[in-house]
Amino acid sequence: MGNAGCTVYPGKMQPRSWGKALLLTLPIALWSLFMAMRGLMQPQRAMQIASGVTAAFMIVLFYLMMKTASTYRWRRWFFVALGVLFPIGFIHNVMVLRGSMGIPIEEMIAGRTPFCFLPIPLLILPAALTKTLVFPGSILPGGGMAGGGMAMMVALWLAITLVVGKGWCSYACFFGGIEEGMAALPKKAQWKKLDPRYRLVPWAVLLAMVLLSLALFEPAYCMWLCPFKAVSEYVAARNTVGLVQNGIFVVLFGALVIVLPVLTKKRTQCTFLCPFGAFQSIFNKTSVFDIKIDRTVCSPCVLCQKSCPTMSLTDESIKKGETLLSCMKCGACVDACPKGAAVWHIKGTEVSVKPERARLMFLYAAWAMAAMFGGSIITGGLETLLHYVI
Amino acid sequence: MKWPTAKLGYTAAGMTVLAAALAPFLLMGMFAKGFTKLGLHVDEMYSGGPIVRTIQAEGYTIGIHRTVYPHFWQTEKPFVQLDWKPVAGLPEHVCDVVNVDSAVAADGYGQQELRVSFDVPKDPKTPLHVNVEALNPRFQAMRNVGKPKFSELIVRVDDAILVRVPLTEPR
Repeated sequence: MGNAGCTVYPGKMQPRSWGKALLLTLPIALWSLFMAMRGLMQPQRAMQIASGVTAAFMIVLFYLMMKTASTYRWRRWFFVALGVLFPIGFIHNVMVLRGSMGIPIEEMIAGRTPFCFLPIPLLILPAALTKTLVFPGSILPGGGMAGGGMAMMVALWLAITLVVGKGWCSYACFFGGIEEGMAALPKKAQWKKLDPRYRLVPWAVLLAMVLLSLALFEPAYCMWLCPFKAVSEYVAARNTVGLVQNGIFVVLFGALVIVLPVLTKKRTQCTFLCPFGAFQSIFNKTSVFDIKIDRTVCSPCVLCQKSCPTMSLTDESIKKGETLLSCMKCGACVDACPKGAAVWHIKGTEVSVKPERARLMFLYAAWAMAAMFGGSIITGGLETLLHYVI
Repeated sequence: MKWPTAKLGYTAAGMTVLAAALAPFLLMGMFAKGFTKLGLHVDEMYSGGPIVRTIQAEGYTIGIHRTVYPHFWQTEKPFVQLDWKPVAGLPEHVCDVVNVDSAVAADGYGQQELRVSFDVPKDPKTPLHVNVEALNPRFQAMRNVGKPKFSELIVRVDDAILVRVPLTEPR
């Protein structure tokens, strides 16, 4: 492996030998196989194959991250697979159990509404003030589509947030992969001038939805704004209001998850709408890992700024040598920087001192979570597809 | 090199990796248990509230739930939920007089408050409709109602038929 003809910058991590990359992959390989073990021991052939393929997929991607020293490029494969396979598995289950993507009122009364992480910030105020969860699900496993219940989803969210902070949006969110996939389709962005002030919209949406959820005592975002209802489930329309709500879901999904990511090459729903993403940004303060810009090496060419899918780098933040609070640690800026000025960093340490160590520690933690949570979702989606083949 | 802060940083990073390794075995169970111990409950507008009394009828029971009142600006009326179950024990047409507050039976003893009548179709997917005659002005009458609102409905949930009768006045 030579670098003849290439300018080698001292800060940029160079590709590793396959042996060293394999060695570094070993812990994740064992972890991924362990996570797949339950599926591999199931009697259904489709489940066995899906579990094996998922484990192999996670191991190969991690190996490539180690080998090429690139993060974003390989993480994106995982993330898009997660985004595509989640609706496949979920919609299939909903259709089998209920025969419709619309949640009938009976299922809500029975507490069998599946609980995803998006309403978590909306539940906090009503729960704190009245000890009431304003969501028609069950706290414990409630059968049907209730899955593990709200307690399990909250526990998963807490554990993953503790480990990766806002990295949730890059390694765990099973919705973000759809728009990341759409953003990856065109070679160049058609719309390059995006007003950076729009980045504040998710905070406004978060505030409005939290207050509205308290006032109306319902998960307001799920009822009115969630674009991903279009590919998961929605309240079965019983009247005109229901029809309007479902119309909003479809329009927002089409605009923010399909069309705008293709035009801008950005994750537009995450950047301009998602209140959960804004809420999750707070946990960037508690996370020990972050991304820094080494000002001693930076030119600045703003390639990092252009590559950031959530506009989390501005001229000012680059001057300060840091990303904005909304950074989801996807690694796009680190991969894009030709001089190795954008680096993984552990808080408290000096910037650019052993950035690869920081990257490795972050990736071990993040990929372990990805294999555990995202891996199970990918397995579910693959199993659904395999059912139709085998 | 800022050694003390760097050491703290690496220690915290190491503990984060450890937390990731322990997440499925320890952390998630701990967090889930902690969450259930907070004593939270699902909004009664969805769950219908706890059953406060059960009336024994011929071949079936009528469960009477505690009155549910809306919170803040919730766009529903206060209501009382009544459960008829098991569905298999119900006649083709149910017509019961229920005393919600202090009744001892479904046969009219005590103060009569509601007369509830509905058909019980054999096919569980057939939509249900209910008529409720309010014998007490505290309750709102319902005529051929399906499931338009959480506070005003008849639905089949598992082995029970639930009727929610709205109250005419707020708390």
